[in-house]
Amino acid sequence: MIGRAFVAEIIQQGINALLLGCTYTLIAIGFNLFFGALNVVHFSHGDVCILGAFVILILYSLAKFLGLVAVLPAFIWVPLIIIVAMLLTGVLGALFERVVIKPFRYAPLLMVLVATVALGMIIRETVRLSFPHGSNPQIFPRILPQKSITWGGVLIRMDNLIIFGMTLFLITLMFLFIKRTRIGASIRAVSQDGEAAMMMGINIDHTVAATFLLGSALGAMAGILIGAYNNIIRFDMGLMGGVKGFSAAVVGGLGNVYGAIVGGLILGFVETFAAAFIPGGTPYTDVFAFLVVIFFLVFKPSGILGEKVYEKV
Amino acid sequence: MSLQKLFRGVFLLAIEVAFFILFVAFMETNEIAKVIAFLLFFIGVGILFKYWKAGNDALVELFREMRTLAGIGFVLLLLILPFGLKGNPYLIHICVMAGLYAILALGLNFQLGSTNVVNFATAASYGIGAYTSALLAVHYGVSFWLGIFLAGSMASLFGLVLGFPCMKTKDYYLSLVTIAFGLIVYLLLVNFSWTGGPNGIPNIPSPSFLGHSFKDPLNLFGFELPSQSNYFYLVFLFTGGALFVAHRLHHSRVGLTWNAIREDEIAARCQGIDVTWYKILAFCIDAFFGGVAGTVYAHYIGFISPENFAFIVSVVVVTMVILGGMDNVFGVIIGAILLTILPEKFRSFEDFRLLIYGVIVVAMLMFRPQGLFPQKLRVYKR
Repeated sequence: MIGRAFVAEIIQQGINALLLGCTYTLIAIGFNLFFGALNVVHFSHGDVCILGAFVILILYSLAKFLGLVAVLPAFIWVPLIIIVAMLLTGVLGALFERVVIKPFRYAPLLMVLVATVALGMIIRETVRLSFPHGSNPQIFPRILPQKSITWGGVLIRMDNLIIFGMTLFLITLMFLFIKRTRIGASIRAVSQDGEAAMMMGINIDHTVAATFLLGSALGAMAGILIGAYNNIIRFDMGLMGGVKGFSAAVVGGLGNVYGAIVGGLILGFVETFAAAFIPGGTPYTDVFAFLVVIFFLVFKPSGILGEKVYEKV
Repeated sequence: MSLQKLFRGVFLLAIEVAFFILFVAFMETNEIAKVIAFLLFFIGVGILFKYWKAGNDALVELFREMRTLAGIGFVLLLLILPFGLKGNPYLIHICVMAGLYAILALGLNFQLGSTNVVNFATAASYGIGAYTSALLAVHYGVSFWLGIFLAGSMASLFGLVLGFPCMKTKDYYLSLVTIAFGLIVYLLLVNFSWTGGPNGIPNIPSPSFLGHSFKDPLNLFGFELPSQSNYFYLVFLFTGGALFVAHRLHHSRVGLTWNAIREDEIAARCQGIDVTWYKILAFCIDAFFGGVAGTVYAHYIGFISPENFAFIVSVVVVTMVILGGMDNVFGVIIGAILLTILPEKFRSFEDFRLLIYGVIVVAMLMFRPQGLFPQKLRVYKR
């Protein structure tokens, strides 16, 4: 007999899974955008995302120092610093592409791969060194309302609801941007065929920069979600976040932006439910997630929504 | 003629001895200014020989002609290195670690250098080897000498297990699998209770050889050397063995096949090369090297914890291979030695170590992708 408590537990875990899935989706969208634009996997993307959370940390202290926090109501300054943080991270992401990825555009694939892994290390270490006691977890400011409501045995936190809403809003906005605007059209064109797009008069450098700006800004949102959800951030969270985001992109189908949503949700559900319903499974959630990824890589490397790639000689 | 040959031999040995004295002096300095002066000197010599073609060719020719003599001189000098360092335990410790990293880098070189397979799971095989032999030694009293083979085989087995999913994938996907594998091994080591969890395994016994425990100081020719020198000679032996294997493999059909896969996988397959099998072979040999290095590390330090085998270790080994020169066996060893010694010399900047590694990798890839010592094209005798 399935009790009410059990149903409530499943719904509760489902909400958690959805939130985790949102984070992975936001990171995975970046991986898919970059892969579409340049056929590269930006292994330091996870670190760029966490960088976004650290930018929030700086902006929050700055806003507090300037007295904005005390003067303005929360619904004005919170979106304000989030938008500024996303923009800043986006610009940084585009800058990283220009400095570290662009020189390898025509080089063997191995080089850009190793270079981005090294870039990730540079970002992590820079963050660690530039914050006081940077090796320890930093307390993430509680910028979202902390209220919660209980509904039929299910606890719904206000900040989680906002996180979910913001993710949906941003993803919708991104799809509109890609479908309806001129830059979005060129991003799609470049991802279909870079050379042909160039012949049609699309400036590839600008388009790639726009892609990295967009992807990194969405990634910053993911970093902020991680910070808001855990209430702490640590400099090396980006490594795991990046690997998970890339995993989500691969499970969904690398290069397909819709795939990011599917992959992110699958990974989020696997992790949450493994932790909740496998006895003693909590410490091994990441292991389950990676086993799922390896399973997909072996049996369906193109992902759920990806196209099959044929090698050309 | 023979007098000239004698003269040339003496000259060659003089170069080696001079290099040895410089190296010992470099190891013994602690002041940053002197360390930088030494580095500038080495870089200056490097630049000099880069532009002074005649001198460079003459030197290469000299070493090629008297290969045996150069080798014997080099080995002898390395054997007296602990004496040269006046038995300083700390300096000998650095040399031991350099040797261990050289073994790891040589192993990774089969994949990253020869086959173009980017493997970020070096730390995993290193850790599997260390934990295997440590657990066997602590719980079952298995001796080091047996443990090292078991640990190497265990690591190879895991290499095989990792190799199979990897063969279905390539490029980015393959790197993802290796990163995920490294993280899984790390997480399991942290979470399993029988591996000691985050606290690791303490009190791993030291090996002994013919009744001489490696814990005791080493008495040689009336000199007493600290216990680290036992491991110095052990690691010297293993690095030498690894170097020999790597060198022979490079010049064998296997090495040639790996290079063919690196240049063009599809073309290699069309030539009838079993790409899957050769890639798995590279995985297994790399893992074996990692396992051996891990075993020596575990018994040398006497304590291991998961932190010793984190993802960063893999990135550091990748850095060593790239800095030294991919596919160049000697270059890789020099890369490993440089990146072990230099951080110790710049201890006051310890915090910046990983940052500097990252910058080195990106800079090397941009400006000198072939590494400090690029691999030359294969030369065959007619």
